[in-house]
Amino acid sequence: MIMSIILTMVGVMAFAWRSGSKKEAMLPLSALPLKKDSIASVKAFEKVYRVLMSPRCMNCHPSGDIPLQGDDSHLHEMFPKRGKDGKGLFAMKCGNCHQPSNTPGKHSPPGNAEWHLPPANMKMVFQGKSAAELAKQLIDPKQNGNKSMKQLLAHSEDGLVRWGWKPGEGRTLPPMSHAEFKKAWETWINNGAYAPKSNQ
Amino acid sequence: MITLTINQQPYQIEADPDMPLLWALRDLIGLTGTKYGCGVAQCGACVVHLNGEAVRSCVTKLSRAAGQKIVTIEGLSKNNDHPLQLAWNEVSVPQCGYCHSGQLMSAAVLLRENPNPTDQDIDNAMAGNICRCGTYPRIRKAIHLAAELQKKEGEAK
Amino acid sequence: MKISRRHFIKSTGTAGFALWLGLSAKGLPQKHTAGSALQHFSPFIRIEANGKITIYNTKPEMGQGTFQSFPSLIAEELEVTLDQVTILQSNGEKELGTGQRAGGSASIRTSYLAMRKVGAAAREVLILAAANKWNVTPESCYADRAKVIHKPSNKSFTYGALVEDASKLELPKEPKLKDPKNFNILGKSSKRPDVPLKTCGKAEFGIDVRLPEMLYALVVRCPVIGGTLKTFDAKEALKVPGVKKVAAVERIVGKYHYTGVAIIADSYWNALQGRKKLRVQWDTKGYETFNSVEYEAQLRKLGDEEGLTDKNIGSVETAQILPENELEAFYETPMIAHHTLEPMNCVAQIKDNKLEIWTSTQVPSSVTGTGANDLHKYVGFTPENIKLHAKFIGGGFGRRLYMDYIIEAVNVARLTDKPVKVIWSREETTQQGPFRPMTFSKMKAGFSTAGKLMTFQHKVISPSYFESFQADYDQSKVDSIMVEGIGEQAYEVPNLKTTYVRAECHVPVAAWRSVTSSTLAFAHECFIDELAYKAGKDPMNFRLELLSKPSDSKKVLLKLKELSSWDTPLPQGTGRGVAIWDFFAGLCGQVVEVSHHKDKSITIDRVIALIDLGEVVNPDNVKNQVEGSIIMGLTAAIKPGITFKNGEVAEHNFYDNPLLRIHESPKIEVHILADGGKIKGVGEPGLPPFAPALANAIFAATGTRFRKMPFQLKTE
Repeated sequence: MIMSIILTMVGVMAFAWRSGSKKEAMLPLSALPLKKDSIASVKAFEKVYRVLMSPRCMNCHPSGDIPLQGDDSHLHEMFPKRGKDGKGLFAMKCGNCHQPSNTPGKHSPPGNAEWHLPPANMKMVFQGKSAAELAKQLIDPKQNGNKSMKQLLAHSEDGLVRWGWKPGEGRTLPPMSHAEFKKAWETWINNGAYAPKSNQ
Repeated sequence: MITLTINQQPYQIEADPDMPLLWALRDLIGLTGTKYGCGVAQCGACVVHLNGEAVRSCVTKLSRAAGQKIVTIEGLSKNNDHPLQLAWNEVSVPQCGYCHSGQLMSAAVLLRENPNPTDQDIDNAMAGNICRCGTYPRIRKAIHLAAELQKKEGEAK
Repeated sequence: MKISRRHFIKSTGTAGFALWLGLSAKGLPQKHTAGSALQHFSPFIRIEANGKITIYNTKPEMGQGTFQSFPSLIAEELEVTLDQVTILQSNGEKELGTGQRAGGSASIRTSYLAMRKVGAAAREVLILAAANKWNVTPESCYADRAKVIHKPSNKSFTYGALVEDASKLELPKEPKLKDPKNFNILGKSSKRPDVPLKTCGKAEFGIDVRLPEMLYALVVRCPVIGGTLKTFDAKEALKVPGVKKVAAVERIVGKYHYTGVAIIADSYWNALQGRKKLRVQWDTKGYETFNSVEYEAQLRKLGDEEGLTDKNIGSVETAQILPENELEAFYETPMIAHHTLEPMNCVAQIKDNKLEIWTSTQVPSSVTGTGANDLHKYVGFTPENIKLHAKFIGGGFGRRLYMDYIIEAVNVARLTDKPVKVIWSREETTQQGPFRPMTFSKMKAGFSTAGKLMTFQHKVISPSYFESFQADYDQSKVDSIMVEGIGEQAYEVPNLKTTYVRAECHVPVAAWRSVTSSTLAFAHECFIDELAYKAGKDPMNFRLELLSKPSDSKKVLLKLKELSSWDTPLPQGTGRGVAIWDFFAGLCGQVVEVSHHKDKSITIDRVIALIDLGEVVNPDNVKNQVEGSIIMGLTAAIKPGITFKNGEVAEHNFYDNPLLRIHESPKIEVHILADGGKIKGVGEPGLPPFAPALANAIFAATGTRFRKMPFQLKTE
């Protein structure tokens, strides 16, 4: 059972992999004009990793099928489940409580029109992942929703991603500004999307 | 002026678009079957169907509900004879009864999407609805019974 | 109860009846309009010439089932079926007596014979009226399903046809009651008529009341309990569209008087918008230093005081106990809130110096009564000028025994001549109390060298319930509510002492379902378990050895032992625990089975409950009540209580003061003992034994002893 003594509610930043055009989705990684600078890339990913592992992002990328809540990332009260499409199950669909925008009040449900978890066939787990594991997972089209690098690049501007920086009252922001995150994200990808060494 | 379609009936109301649907239903339209319990989407007493989904009306603004199809407990069936209502009555589920409008509206989505729910499915669907009187064992029993009734109803048709 | 000698009430107050909630045979509500020739055989029964039969339920319905069970007592003896009668909820009418209240699991146990007599007396005069018409002996007639039948000829009259004649006859004082073996209603499971109303949204709770021109209000109250209003600035709030008035209002709970600021508006939503603009300054009067952590430490320290003696049998002081044969333990339980799912609310209107109230209350008799502590005393209206409309209650659990929210609403209603509905938010309902008080128990016991339990002491350390209500409370006396049950358990111990240490507290105290037994049974029955282990005995057998004489407790334990297959060993990592509690409300024993898993979590596999009733009205409803009591007991055992930080309640709503949910709800089996013994209550007895049975099961499975509630279902 969950003793939730936490005053802050859900904080979530889901990576919403909207599938791009078919053509783009088919682009192989090698087709992208990438600089190969593993040092710059890995260094940028350190920042990316810090953001992705912050509660605003990780809470909707749980290792199980129940999202997390609060700055301490406890299991979401009332145990809503992922469901096939990541949008919940039966009477407990994300959008039943999470509105198109944050509901005012410190403990009211945060909201975004796209509110959801990654789908069941592409769980994109952050929780418990090392930087190396997460980086590899992010660029693997088999795990990232068939995302091309171009689509991946654009993803830092996704609406649900951006929500992380406007999470509503009482929720801690990610550890850097969105601009800084975006820059790190792009630096990481544009320099080859290298994964840190496994022990990092 | 905001137009709401509730239980297939159109309503025109003059209200702040930020007003939660709950208060419009209860105070402006007079459909008091939908209950206020917590105001922050924790208890489920206020669940209604918005285009078939079991939304919590305490956090659903009128601006979201406007023009959409809303069903409240008063519209779940014409004669209190939805399989869930029949089962709830058969099993004598409610005690104080305050949470059961919401329980039934949540269970109705479960039964529509999963005509044969397991205990785990019931937990997955119903853990968002609090019953302070503790009628959970009966809610579980009644949902299983309703699934049977629904099946029989389907066979009869 | 004396049966009214008046054959019928001349003034039936039809205007008053007009709004009463009625139920037709189909169970759907209808507005009741009184016809002519209304015939009352007692204030509780009305039979009309057209055959319509109405029975008044004087026990407010809050989920405990009295809406059906109370009228069932009358209907059984009146020889009518439940679907032949309309049940009306009483509203504190004088002629229906001062017993219009629901609390203490008392409704059936205190009315079982009295209400059967009411029904039987009416039946006897109806039979006599028929016999007179036929000119036969009453002995040759019998009543069945609202008819009197002449046995030899099979002629019959409906009750409606007899009512005029019957109403002229004297009601018998000692009518003959039915032989229980001929019962048609009592003892048989049946459907409650309020249930269908609650599955289609038609049951009207207090918060659902809507009246023409009704206004809405909320009250901003001091977040620091005990603080008082300094000033407020309503200028901006009054600019909010729909906001009509802002003013200070008083709320009285027990001996405490609080002042808040009411915002009246044309809708609750607009009142909420007004609240955002209201500026209030409070004088927290030093209470801002109150913290639960420090208060707990204070209560622990008070455990060293001798306290006031409650029960003292033999002499625990002079009994010769070797130190190694002694055992001591300290148990702690937190403050908790009632969390009725229907938040506090009340509609009131003052017009022409008359007060009218629509609300959910457990105490209609106190709202309209003439007693020293009834509502009239607090609001300045004479009882004749107070009119109540009692509604279905969306959860009581003791919270709606108190009229603070009614008194406050009356004060809000003084600000307008329109009806006003005052709604408390969930946060206000959670934070403003009254609460079940923090209650600690210091336990001590000793064995003889031969292993016989010689001494048993239970010291209760807590604020006083009565002190919370009486400014002139006599502190030299034991507060009987705070030590309830601990001196009355059936265990035979030659030297028993129970004592009470009063703790200072400025937070109002409330009865919470099963009152202090909800805390004391945990300490008492866990400690009995600890003693069993110290003695190296099986906890069930240890208890039974302490019950050599016949008692209801012994009877229940023996039966429970059999029902739970107590002697069948459980696999490794699982355990069984037992507890039983006998108190004013009744008696229930429970066995809980738990499993301890590899990840150290604990799950509840099964709960077996046996409730001892003497007589049972609706067994299915009893089961529902015991299931609910167990779930509420589990909630109290494992979910956080109410805590104070800097004078304010730290919890707000269900996100930080969660209640049990369906996926956490265990499998429960309820058994009923109804062997004609002493009649006991239903609504509360299922609660006290649960937490100790659970903690005892956890000890059996894990070796970990929980002595502080709430505890988590896992081990370190």
